[in-house]
Amino acid sequence: MNVVSMVVNRLVWFVPTVLGLLAVVFVLARIVPTDPAVLAAGENATAEQVQEARERLALDRPLPEQFVEYLRQVVQGDLGTSFYTQQPIVDDLTERLPATLELTILGVLAAGLIGVPLGVISGLNRNSWLDHLLRLVSVLFIGVAPFWIAMQLQLLFSMQLGWLPLSGRIDDFAPEAMTGFLTIDALVAGDLQNFLSALRHIVLPTLTLALPGAAVIVRFTRTSVVEAVNSPSVAYQTAMGLPRRVIVWKYILRLALNSTVTQLGLVFGISLTGAVVIEAVFEWPGLGTYAVRSILHSDYNAVMGVTLCVGVLFALSNLLVDLLQMAIDPRGAT
Amino acid sequence: MATSRREILKLGLLGLASLAGNSESASAQSRNRFVFANSSAFDSLDPHTVFDQGRAAVRFNLYDGLLRFVDNPPKLIPWLAESYAVSDDGKTYTFKLRADATFHDGTPVTSADVAYSIERILALRKGPASFYLDLIEPGSTQTPDPHTVVFNLTDPSAIFLTTVPNILVVNSALVRSKEKDGDWGAGWLARNEAGTGSYILRRYEPAVGWSGQRFTNHFAGWAGQPIDEIEFRTVQETNTRVLGLMRGDFDGADGLTYEQIQRLRPSPNVQILEAESMRIFLLALNNSKPLMNDVHFRRALAYSFDYDGFIKNIMKDSVTRNPGPNPVTIWGSPPGLKGYSFDLAKAREELAQVKQPLRKISINALAGYSESEQAAVLFQSALRQIGIEADIDVTPWPVVASRFAKAETQADVTPVWRSTFYVDPNNWVGEGFGTRYHGTRTMSYYSNPAFDQLLDQALLTNDHERRRELYEQMSQIVSDDAAGIFIYNTRWFGPYSTRVSGIRFSPASNGNDIRWATMTR
Repeated sequence: MNVVSMVVNRLVWFVPTVLGLLAVVFVLARIVPTDPAVLAAGENATAEQVQEARERLALDRPLPEQFVEYLRQVVQGDLGTSFYTQQPIVDDLTERLPATLELTILGVLAAGLIGVPLGVISGLNRNSWLDHLLRLVSVLFIGVAPFWIAMQLQLLFSMQLGWLPLSGRIDDFAPEAMTGFLTIDALVAGDLQNFLSALRHIVLPTLTLALPGAAVIVRFTRTSVVEAVNSPSVAYQTAMGLPRRVIVWKYILRLALNSTVTQLGLVFGISLTGAVVIEAVFEWPGLGTYAVRSILHSDYNAVMGVTLCVGVLFALSNLLVDLLQMAIDPRGAT
Repeated sequence: MATSRREILKLGLLGLASLAGNSESASAQSRNRFVFANSSAFDSLDPHTVFDQGRAAVRFNLYDGLLRFVDNPPKLIPWLAESYAVSDDGKTYTFKLRADATFHDGTPVTSADVAYSIERILALRKGPASFYLDLIEPGSTQTPDPHTVVFNLTDPSAIFLTTVPNILVVNSALVRSKEKDGDWGAGWLARNEAGTGSYILRRYEPAVGWSGQRFTNHFAGWAGQPIDEIEFRTVQETNTRVLGLMRGDFDGADGLTYEQIQRLRPSPNVQILEAESMRIFLLALNNSKPLMNDVHFRRALAYSFDYDGFIKNIMKDSVTRNPGPNPVTIWGSPPGLKGYSFDLAKAREELAQVKQPLRKISINALAGYSESEQAAVLFQSALRQIGIEADIDVTPWPVVASRFAKAETQADVTPVWRSTFYVDPNNWVGEGFGTRYHGTRTMSYYSNPAFDQLLDQALLTNDHERRRELYEQMSQIVSDDAAGIFIYNTRWFGPYSTRVSGIRFSPASNGNDIRWATMTR
């Protein structure tokens, strides 16, 4: 299968996936015990105003009809208005998405940068004390709750050592955004002070996000490396007398990277959802904190908007993973 | 090669050092900038729609009303109005505006702005609107001259004056120019400001918070060394607020439990201010439902709450017992009102007199508020001992509030607080138990003609002593009927940086009125 047909295939599957996701969230949002019409009409609303809101939002129609109406709006780029912020949800999401993406992308990159080398070292030194230690540490980080890691990092680096800020995304308020990625915006603007400020603020949330992801990658990379080391092709190259360094870099890593890239895609998805907790602890103004507020205020439209946004990002990250796998090993394309 | 690696390492370490070396936040570095960690998110800045205590900072710092509550016990002082007069029939209130007050853009404040503001409140029907919807007809407010505004009430109201601070005045010309599809500028004012307040909005990011610059031309003038810049940052994670105060990142915070306040006490950067407040915690009973409408059943419930155990073990004696519907710190409670005590024998006696068949009752605790959840569990456990089963449902405030809107949807029991929206006993006993407030500000759906008669009289007369008697009688009736279960009056704990002084606490502002404060430079 070539790249184009693979992309088309993925996009075709993308539609029913998102539809399914929306259907589940839509039904869940409607069965909770609060009347969306009352919330939309606001406090002190008269019975007539509540009824008017019910009709305006099509809440008086059967559930399937409401769902079709919602889909029609989504296709037109209208995710509705937040009951709580009173702003179009698309605007709310656009404001907050860059913060989450900046954190998640850096988190996944950091997870890869930490996890891949350690996984390779562990795999190449199978059953050594180093391998045992790395396996133990990675299991620990997989098992520990991210908010606990976040608090420990805060206590160490912010409270004890005083090296890094406790919370927030930047000192003061963010400068006018170009990309919304503060580190990039500050660099482009040549604003070293804001760049350093943004960088200092993102270190701890990134680490919190990266450490469990890195632990997963260590485990998978190790397994892949062990399999690659024992593969016939590596045995053949060894028998041919190729230097160890060449075998590791050219053959073992290539074989091992394929499954590692898959894991990076999964880690990206998990990190997006994990950001909900991490953003709350570090008061990171992204989708996670928005999702929590929306849930707490029964802001159904906003909850559905966040779910759609995260679902689309997850699907896109999977597509990217497929493309990367194809680039690493074209034979594996399916 | 070795040299090159060493250089790379050196550069890396230098980079880390520059990151770490600059670790003290700009918030802490700024000498005259007050940073407050706010537990509620500022999702809107509209002073006519946002009306909770958690976001009071917007109302008190960016806007002004005709009158203002300050200090504790609260005093009502002239603010945008320099004087007022009430007609003999108690239905016409005439306010004379100060001539020197201007909005942040320099436009003078006129009576037209006040009239536009009340019309806007009535039209949007949110926030403080419920105080005025039955009292002021749209279009009835008059502006005989630019500095005189006349409110014509449909009925005399003894409480109107105390609610006037909630009519925050917006720049009518500016807001009108931003109106869209008849929205009264709601879309624009949610993200901008058009006020006269002590601070001018500098930056606002809904996901982060807002900051304000001191309005040097404010009509009230400035004394001493006021704070030049304020920042209210949303910090919803409690632990982050606590650590931020200890570290000096924040100069104030709200929403902390007593344990967290105790945790802050040893910190050299933090001082804890304390004051008796006016915020009662009660188990709101839905008096309209079968079984709940039986006074003996309600009394059985009232005898089944372990008041002393809750205050001692859960609240760690940080609050004072409040046996009636009004805070003990305000007039209107009968002297010596004892209320109920934890007595399961008496509860059983009352239960024996109940004619209706017993049923399982519902308790709706507030999510995210441990006291509410703990009170629900404690109550459930005690009720089981007298043979009453209870289901606990924990939901966030918007869900609880939407359930309060109808007698059919409000739970049988809701552990909840009643805050100070205006300083008058009517804020608690009147609104809480008067039939006229059903569907708006009630939490009880209690209906008693004798009570309503007293309430009508109390709202009509301006004779303070007479009103005191009437509210004392109302409190006694509510207590005798066990129309609610009243537990404690909150003590306010304000954790602030040791650099801050002059915080002027009032139960109405909850310490959010920053214009009076100073910071050590």
